[in-house]
Amino acid sequence: MTAGTAAERSRTQVPPAASDVTRPPVIAAADAEARDLAELCEQFIGVCESAVDPLEISSALEFDGLNDQAVRALYGFSDVFALGEEMYRRVPRRPAEPEPVADPWRISKLRSAMHGLIYGLPAVCFPAASGLLNGPGALRVLVIALLSSWALSQGLAHLGYARLGLSDANPAARVLLPGMTAGTGATGLVMTLTAQTEHVDLPVLAFGFGLGAYMLGATVLMVLGAERLLLLVLAPAVLGSATFLALGRPHYLEYAAWGALAATPMLALGLATWRAGHESGLFGRRHGKGAKSREDAGRLITAADLRGALPSAGFGLVVAGLLVFPVAAALPGHPNTGAVVASLPLALSMGAAEWTLVWFRRRTQRLLRATREVSAFAYWARLALLIALLRYLTAAVLLTAAAVAVATAAQLIHPHWAIAPQIAAYLALGGAMFVALLLQAFGSRLFPLMTCTAALAFEVLCRAPRVLGQLTVCVGLLVVLICYAALVLGKAIRHAC
Amino acid sequence: MKIAMVTEGTYPYSFGGVSVWCDQLIRGMPGCDFSLMAIVATGAERMVWSLPDNVTAVNKVPLWGAPPAGPTMRYRNAVPDYLLREFIDSLLDTSTEAQSRFADLLRELFEFSKHGNLSAALGSDKAIRLLSEAWRERPPGPRETAPTLHDAISAMQLLDHSLRPSCHPLPQADLAHAVTNGLAVLPALAAKWRYGTPMIVTEHGVYLREQYLQNRTSPYRWPVKAFHLSFMRRLCALGYSEAAAITPGNVYNRRWEEHLGAEPARIRTVYNGVDPADFPALSGEPDLPTISWVGRIDPIKDLETLVRAFSLVVQEMPTARLRLFGSPPKGREHYLERCQALTADLGIAGSVTFEGRVENIRDAYDAGQIVALSSVSEGFPYSLIEAMICGRPCVATDVGGVTEAVGDTGLVVPPRSPKRMARACLTLLQNHDLRRQLGAAARTRALNNFTVDGAISAFGEIYGLVGAALPRPTAPIRVTIEDPSGILLPRKAAE
Repeated sequence: MTAGTAAERSRTQVPPAASDVTRPPVIAAADAEARDLAELCEQFIGVCESAVDPLEISSALEFDGLNDQAVRALYGFSDVFALGEEMYRRVPRRPAEPEPVADPWRISKLRSAMHGLIYGLPAVCFPAASGLLNGPGALRVLVIALLSSWALSQGLAHLGYARLGLSDANPAARVLLPGMTAGTGATGLVMTLTAQTEHVDLPVLAFGFGLGAYMLGATVLMVLGAERLLLLVLAPAVLGSATFLALGRPHYLEYAAWGALAATPMLALGLATWRAGHESGLFGRRHGKGAKSREDAGRLITAADLRGALPSAGFGLVVAGLLVFPVAAALPGHPNTGAVVASLPLALSMGAAEWTLVWFRRRTQRLLRATREVSAFAYWARLALLIALLRYLTAAVLLTAAAVAVATAAQLIHPHWAIAPQIAAYLALGGAMFVALLLQAFGSRLFPLMTCTAALAFEVLCRAPRVLGQLTVCVGLLVVLICYAALVLGKAIRHAC
Repeated sequence: MKIAMVTEGTYPYSFGGVSVWCDQLIRGMPGCDFSLMAIVATGAERMVWSLPDNVTAVNKVPLWGAPPAGPTMRYRNAVPDYLLREFIDSLLDTSTEAQSRFADLLRELFEFSKHGNLSAALGSDKAIRLLSEAWRERPPGPRETAPTLHDAISAMQLLDHSLRPSCHPLPQADLAHAVTNGLAVLPALAAKWRYGTPMIVTEHGVYLREQYLQNRTSPYRWPVKAFHLSFMRRLCALGYSEAAAITPGNVYNRRWEEHLGAEPARIRTVYNGVDPADFPALSGEPDLPTISWVGRIDPIKDLETLVRAFSLVVQEMPTARLRLFGSPPKGREHYLERCQALTADLGIAGSVTFEGRVENIRDAYDAGQIVALSSVSEGFPYSLIEAMICGRPCVATDVGGVTEAVGDTGLVVPPRSPKRMARACLTLLQNHDLRRQLGAAARTRALNNFTVDGAISAFGEIYGLVGAALPRPTAPIRVTIEDPSGILLPRKAAE
């Protein structure tokens, strides 16, 4: 508040040198004349105006070198305490506001859009890989790969972010590296087990494994804030697939396209290993700190950490289930066009969801600083929650409309009104996922997991009136989540950070 | 004798004067068993001292780590409304009567924390609501700084973290020794209220004064600062009034202690001491006129004044040297850089050397004809009494217990006064006889008053008196039936 000014002023305030250094103990100001109290108050104006009580002024006076003897000699008060009381009485309180701290919730729209792209771009790869995926049981392998990779990567992301919150990137990187290795191993195991039961072709298994490997590598890069590297990772698969599709899937380019697809997971694992290794000091530092870090690595993941990551992994699994179930449950020969058209903009809209989440957080932080009553805060925070949801839904609707328009123009689909309920269901699901994300960001992890699980179970059990059932479930899920969020996020304490 | 010792931010997790003192005391009393409770910041601190054999346990209590798990979650918010409301009110109430209310309510909160989760209660929405209501009843400060909900949350978070040590009970002991006032007395108070364990409070610096100074640059708004400092003031006053003995490290601190209500009869000053065997008298002097300085390179040591003073010295004695022994605390090297830049600006970079840490501290005193101390705040500095016991005359600033240490065996000047300091240094550097005479007097004074044996025997006496004067257990102690089981056992340090 006033540090610095006091020190500066004190230089002029030290008693003038009168005689030679007296034989000790020298009293700080015994040889000086009486001083003006008003002048002292002026010198210590910042301290006095911001003081919470007289003792704070006495502390500042002492810290500046005024002791009891000096106070008696210069100002005629019995001690520093009496002088502090008088100054507290004389100078009215006019506390300085603390320096505004940098907003920790600043996130650029560009970064959010980049995240949206990162979530959405892989969708281009599926049609390009369709030549690979037409064997028997391919769909089931894909679903299994998707479910396991979402669960593993969400769990891994939780472990990483928990460390990131504690300190710098180093401990996060040290968790992520073994986590990614274990996750890749688990994906390989899952794929091998699937091959035992499904008797599918090797390319399908490889694709499933690649999907899992990409998700884990991408998670590591995201947690470490290396989005640009991630775009680099995506480049071969996305550009390769897009070129392949744009040229009308020419037969002679099929192997090249698949090669490009294979490059992305390998790049993801490679770059994630390099980056995490670099951050944790695994490479380049042979002595000292690096070596020590490796010693500690054994204790890095405890049972409690794994328990903490379970809800995240479960949530990843359930959300993947909610997303792919309508596609996977479609009857052979009757692909669910609506679901396919709607899931891409939904992935893209996760960028908008992130940005809206940050908007909401900044809004409530400002509210906390502007309101004095718990009830007023609850009202405004709930209103902000509703606006946040509307913002997200608007973005999702716009993205979906754009996707439908592009797909129609490219003659990929022939839209008809029958797919409208399917698209509405996906929008509701997007809204529900946004609210779940919000709740998780504010420390409420179990409720979204439980409700989403219930919704998925309901969908799986009552698959008869498919689209309508899905629509009902997703809207219901959204309503339940938003009501719960209104209840929880209306509490000021939830916004403490 | 079993002693439960409580430290905050010092022994055995960091270096510094207070840690040296703790180590000396424990080693000097091999007949006593010490169990340590060390209040630390995050819990990630590593032990930097090798512990003496008579330390039976170390319990590390972090203020800012994860909240302690409550004994049971069922009682999460069981703290009664009235208790929280009254406790908050006792902090906002500025009347003198509020101090005794605070004491009673804090004791009730202790009782609560034995079977409920105090941290969860203070971090609840209800606590925020109660504080914002209390603020409306007793508006703190002027209208422009009216507290917001954000302030209420910050204030309750600070209170929650400050009260964390009270959830970590001390083991049963003959006495509890808090080696600082403030948060360290919380566990000692709990032990006193629970078992009747008598409490000793030692202060090297004045805890409350340091709190005021630290909070001048706090990131919090005024109402939060006022609330937090009110808690600290009430707690320190309670520490003084509940202590069987208060042992400041110098007479200067007494003023604060008495001002906050400490009973003068219970205060006994015990000076820091050094081991004369480690510091035999220095025989010769360096060839060039040299000023030596020893300490941590930190703004509180005001090295800039010393450097400016030295630039004046050089004007009269061009061959003079200033040798600075010590290093800056980790992560705060910028002050060292500032001082180095200043020597360059003043054109004396060639005469001033930053020597860093020395293996044998005695060599640092040996390096100078005189030893200077330019601090703006000190308790009872070791570097001064070490220099004295070596027989080196000192020039020091008149802060804290410096005049008590130096007496008439050195020169004392006002702080932040380069001219005065320069003149004092020149007086000594130019007068060999005065140097010899003062150096010898300093050594005699230190040997008579500031030896480690003297300090330890004083504490042996105080321990004996305090331990004997209050036979345990005293008259019925409130509510000890609740939990005869394991909760009271000290939590093992999370090593």
